[in-house]
Amino acid sequence: MRVDPNMVPDMLAAIQQSEQSLQTALQQVSTGKSVTLPSDNPAAEANMVQNTIETANVDQYTQNASSALSMVQTADSALSSVVTSLTSAISLGTEGANGTSSSVNQQAIATQVQGILSSVVSQANLSYQGVYVFGGTASTTVPYSVDSTSPSGYTYNGNTGVNSVPVGDQMSVQVNIPGSQIFSNTSTNVIGSLSSLVTALQSGDTSAISTATAAVSSAMAYVSQQRVVYGNAESQLNSQETYLQQETVSLSSQATSLVGVDMATAATTLSQAETDNNAALAAAAKVVPNSLLNYLSTPS
Amino acid sequence: MGGLNTSLLVGIQALEATQGALDATSNNIANANTSGYTREVAQFSENAQTVSGSDVSGGGVTLDGLQSVRDELLNLQIQQQTSLKSSADIQSSTLQQIQSYFTTTSGEDITSTLSAFSTSLTQLSADPTSTSAQQGVISAGQDLANSFNTTASGLTSAQSDADGQVTQAVSQINSLTAQIAQLNGQISQSTTTANNGGTIEDQRDELVQQLSALTGVSVTQTDDGETITTGNGTPLVMGGQSFALHTTTGSDGMQQVLDSSGNNITTSILGGTLGGAIKVRDQTIPDMLTQLNTLASQFATAFNSAQAQGFDSSGNVGQNFFTIPANSADAASGISVAITDTASIAISSDGTVGSNGNVANLSAALTNALPSGQTPAAAYSSLVFEVGNTASNASAQSTAIGLNLQQLTNQQGSVSAVDTNEEATNLLRFQTAYEAAARIISTIQQLGTITLNMGTSGGY
Repeated sequence: MRVDPNMVPDMLAAIQQSEQSLQTALQQVSTGKSVTLPSDNPAAEANMVQNTIETANVDQYTQNASSALSMVQTADSALSSVVTSLTSAISLGTEGANGTSSSVNQQAIATQVQGILSSVVSQANLSYQGVYVFGGTASTTVPYSVDSTSPSGYTYNGNTGVNSVPVGDQMSVQVNIPGSQIFSNTSTNVIGSLSSLVTALQSGDTSAISTATAAVSSAMAYVSQQRVVYGNAESQLNSQETYLQQETVSLSSQATSLVGVDMATAATTLSQAETDNNAALAAAAKVVPNSLLNYLSTPS
Repeated sequence: MGGLNTSLLVGIQALEATQGALDATSNNIANANTSGYTREVAQFSENAQTVSGSDVSGGGVTLDGLQSVRDELLNLQIQQQTSLKSSADIQSSTLQQIQSYFTTTSGEDITSTLSAFSTSLTQLSADPTSTSAQQGVISAGQDLANSFNTTASGLTSAQSDADGQVTQAVSQINSLTAQIAQLNGQISQSTTTANNGGTIEDQRDELVQQLSALTGVSVTQTDDGETITTGNGTPLVMGGQSFALHTTTGSDGMQQVLDSSGNNITTSILGGTLGGAIKVRDQTIPDMLTQLNTLASQFATAFNSAQAQGFDSSGNVGQNFFTIPANSADAASGISVAITDTASIAISSDGTVGSNGNVANLSAALTNALPSGQTPAAAYSSLVFEVGNTASNASAQSTAIGLNLQQLTNQQGSVSAVDTNEEATNLLRFQTAYEAAARIISTIQQLGTITLNMGTSGGY
């Protein structure tokens, strides 16, 4: 059978093919990616769309969780110092209610309790990074301002709204309790009860002092109870941070398995491609110059 | 018994025939690298014997002509595969151009901007009063709108490139069919002679080959030469006459292909650069554009309605965040961010400035299913898959047909290509034959002289 005498096209095709493989292998090793264009692996590239978005979201959720955590911790420590203040107000109230306490003494105690009231109000007006923690969603206005017309001497300017910060695709954590719920609700009013205690101490009415002290102590119990909300949020945020770290790792390992290369395999492929390319070139160099004419003597 | 003159005549015929064979060999070697050249073989036949009584003498040799060695069936297969290959090639190269808009490496693609937009909203939710977080949402929204615009314009520019290919291919087809018709005329005059169309037929085969790279053709041999039609039967060449195709701008602004009688044959053209360009222009890209437009329009609508659920910094119901053109076919190319003021983002759910309640709704617009049934990310991811898959199919098809074509070309080469080694052998063979024939003539001449001198010199 006659064979195709023209070996050049076949040889060129072989050389080009080996150069193509060499280029691909080199690109994979140098970029560390096996997929650079959607056509390299359409399914992997399509999955990468979700992966990219989720990775970015998880990064942001992690940041949100850490900023929410500091906000919650700030609020919680504010409440903790409120509880401490209230405890000393209760012991001061108990001391003032004691029949042996002199009127002068009661006035002094009243001043002390007034100081406690101011410190509690200043805790209630706590701002964290420019945001009032206890103002509900009205976080740009000072929650409690002095108001002489109000029985307690203070007015709540905030609202009852609650903000939740997303820290996961399906998870958001409540990061604030409105002041109206903690400090000035109708049944256990921290500010109101402290203010009545001051008034009672100033008037020297021991039974009113006792009633007011009891009100402060039930308000304190309520504040302690509310701290549980922050405590829960803290533990939720902590465990969410751990979860998000794992999620970051698993997303990045998913990305690697989708579009990354296994370096060992890639390096082997590269050296294989180099060998193939050398072989193709060597074969071409050997075969192309061959011709019968080389062996025929010039006709005499 | 023949005389010396008979031998002389036979010798001269041998000399002439061998001369013709040497010509063929030399022409073969000269054209060893000519594209489309088919090797020619000298055809000899022995002349009738002269029988006179009991005497028989050979009649010598005649050179019948030069026969081009070609396999028409292989040529047909090569033409078909060439059509398929150039169709796959143009689709593959167009899709390569398109798919660069869908890679995440640039950071300007929809995946990157969509995830940045989603992140900016999550950040805003943690810090609803921060102007920088609000500004972040607006710029991320603008980036997202821009990436929709860029991707859409990438698709439309690839589409208009393909449209340009259509016009170009049609004018090349017309020029080729005119040349083929002319050659048909020449061949039908020359086939009566023994040289089998020869070089003119080579030229025609080469032109038909080029034509088949432009569009799928069907070739039939008739008395007038070759009749060439497109795949669906629109005549391009009949005998010595060619039929030019025309282009005209269609209602969608794309070039439509008309046959010589003015019928629109655009949709029936298959194969070749023309068929491939039409397919990618009228089916592949519009399909992707539709998906992109649906995504842009449904996403913008969903996000705008999430805006309307909340309140901006002034306590008003949120206005539209994205503007989309009324015509949904322009959604992706025309989407833009409507608001410039950070105060216009509907962050609040209760009208208070510090509330982040509506950000959850805004974020949900990115993660909830659109009317299409898919979330924006999933819808875009399907589009990426389609782009990647179409591109990879086209290039795999091109590679596969390329291998097949290479195989066929090898087969054609084994039949028709010039082998310089073979020609070198032939050269030696005909050289020897020529020398021998020349020796016969000189010998006969000597014998003639001796015979003539027989009576005069008186012998030796």
